[in-house]
Amino acid sequence: MPWNDNANPGPWGSPSGDDKRDPPRRPSGGGGGGGPRGPGGPDFNAGFDRLSQRLRDLMGGPGGQPRRGLIPVVAGVAFALWAASGVYVVQPNEQAIVMTFGAYSRSETPGLRYHLPAPIERVEKVPVTSLKRTDVGGAGSDAESTAASQMLTGDEQIIDVDFSVTWRVSDAARYLFATRDPEDAVKDVAESAMREVVGKTQLQPIISTGRGQVQQQTAELMQRTLDAWGAGISIVEVQIRSAGPPSEVVAAFREVNNAQQDADSAENEANTYRNRVINEAKGDAARITQAAQAYREQAVREATGEASRFNQIYTEYRRAPGVTRDRLYIETMQRILQNSNKVVIDAKGATAPIILPPDVFRPKSQPAPQIEVGPAQPQPQTQPKSAQ
Amino acid sequence: MSTRSLVMGLLGLFLITLVFQTFYIVDQRQQAIVVAFGDPVRVVNPPGRSEAGLNLKIPFVEQVIKLDRRNIALEADKEEIITAGQERLVVDAFIRYRISDPLQFYRTLRDETTATDRIERLVNSSLRQVLGSANSTDIISGRRAQLMQQAKLDVDQRARASRLGIQVIDLRIKRADLPAQNREAVFRRMSTSRQQVAAQLRAQGEQKKREIIAQADKEVAITLATAREQSGQTTGEGDALRTRIFASSFGKDPSFAAFFRSMQAYEASLADGQTTLVLSPDSAFFRYFERGPTGR
Repeated sequence: MPWNDNANPGPWGSPSGDDKRDPPRRPSGGGGGGGPRGPGGPDFNAGFDRLSQRLRDLMGGPGGQPRRGLIPVVAGVAFALWAASGVYVVQPNEQAIVMTFGAYSRSETPGLRYHLPAPIERVEKVPVTSLKRTDVGGAGSDAESTAASQMLTGDEQIIDVDFSVTWRVSDAARYLFATRDPEDAVKDVAESAMREVVGKTQLQPIISTGRGQVQQQTAELMQRTLDAWGAGISIVEVQIRSAGPPSEVVAAFREVNNAQQDADSAENEANTYRNRVINEAKGDAARITQAAQAYREQAVREATGEASRFNQIYTEYRRAPGVTRDRLYIETMQRILQNSNKVVIDAKGATAPIILPPDVFRPKSQPAPQIEVGPAQPQPQTQPKSAQ
Repeated sequence: MSTRSLVMGLLGLFLITLVFQTFYIVDQRQQAIVVAFGDPVRVVNPPGRSEAGLNLKIPFVEQVIKLDRRNIALEADKEEIITAGQERLVVDAFIRYRISDPLQFYRTLRDETTATDRIERLVNSSLRQVLGSANSTDIISGRRAQLMQQAKLDVDQRARASRLGIQVIDLRIKRADLPAQNREAVFRRMSTSRQQVAAQLRAQGEQKKREIIAQADKEVAITLATAREQSGQTTGEGDALRTRIFASSFGKDPSFAAFFRSMQAYEASLADGQTTLVLSPDSAFFRYFERGPTGR
């Protein structure tokens, strides 16, 4: 039954979405009635029979010729479905390129849009605002990714650089029509540009401070190249994920870091020593100067005291010089002799050396044994005498 | 009735075939050559002309061959190149080309597979020639952009001379690396150069350490010496003042001062109980002891 092909909107309506399927169905409903849409359940079969009957009536009876009035209706429905298949939605991040018989005709912004149905017009949607990312190197440790990430620097050293390129479509028409395999093109250009830039840079800056510059130069070079091709691609950012010496020489590079640490710690040790020693010296210096000041004060004050004592004694002395002199002498001698071991020897007329017992010379502060000294010679008069 | 419908059917079939034989679509991304009995008669939508879309041809007589109109990538095989300085470099390049003259392209190369083969050989030989006359330093850093430009022009020129019908848009060296055996040497050089830097850093650290210590020692010596200098000065001042004080005081009667001071000194040095005095009875102290109350 040819009618079934028309009644089933599947092949025609599918690209346009459900809500678009209803309007074309309405004219067909005039012919088919509400039957197929009616509630299913128990009287479905009955409804179907009734429908078949009505269809047969419409078409002019069983096995007979279709009625004249039906053909335009079927054709109209078919045309309407076909025409409706041109409705499409452009997502907010997309741009749509409409082609008429394969030739570019216009581009459409996001929203509900219409194109003449296939095969007259076709549409291709390109995500223009979403960012795409292309990774070079890194990821795996296989030979291919190592080969992609190892490169020669300006000072002919080998460096391992893994990076990502973030890009987006800046011109949807160019992106679609100008370049074959645009994503591969981005990767090729990225590798080539990065190597060119790294080849012009020394190793040290790349692994330390010059990374940003390398990224920027690579991005600029990529953009220049892609612009020259008219690829419709805009490079957002080149991001170096890791840049360092290859694993074969990593140890030597670490050694430099260690050496730097060692040098720093040697300097710190020296500074520690300096701080300690200098402060100690300052302390010692203070001690020396303070001691000197103390000495000066002491000397002067004591001298002043002594001088004052002398002056006062002298004043009195002048009144009675002889008596004072004698008194001073005798008092002093008394104080001296009072505390001392004393031996009084009259050596006049002695013919032999006088031998004194050693106990006589024992310091008086030590408990002295009772000394009994007999004269070594009959003549000398020995008087060992203890104060106590 | 049935003959009529048969005729109608055949006619319809013929009409449909005629439509398909007359109209053809050239996509925006394509260009086409119209061939009549194997002989190219015209091109449609070549670069520079906008003829994409629905086109007409003479049905059954003319055939359409479609070619790509876009910028096509071609990656040349990795190749070892000997530079002017006899160094080996593994070079990996790609070109981007476009079929600029589809007629020539069709006549010389027929299809893209043949083209790929032919152009790849062309690129390799150009790279060999251009890079072979440059130093590795030039290739790696100094004149890479220029050499790429030179190779591009060379490929373009040769393609034109061989009437390939292509236009080289760009030629870029992707990788220019050292072969495996040379890499080892580079790694060694890198390691030793790093070791050198490390040794220098250590030595610099040691130098700094010694400098700081020496300076500290110097400062210590100066600080202490300055302190001693001040100390001497202060002590001297004290001594001088002391001397002046005593002089002004004792100077009033030097003879008594000497006596007085001697007495003090005797007492200070002898009256500590540690001394044993061996005295003669005729000393001044014993005047009366020896000679009786008159002392004569």
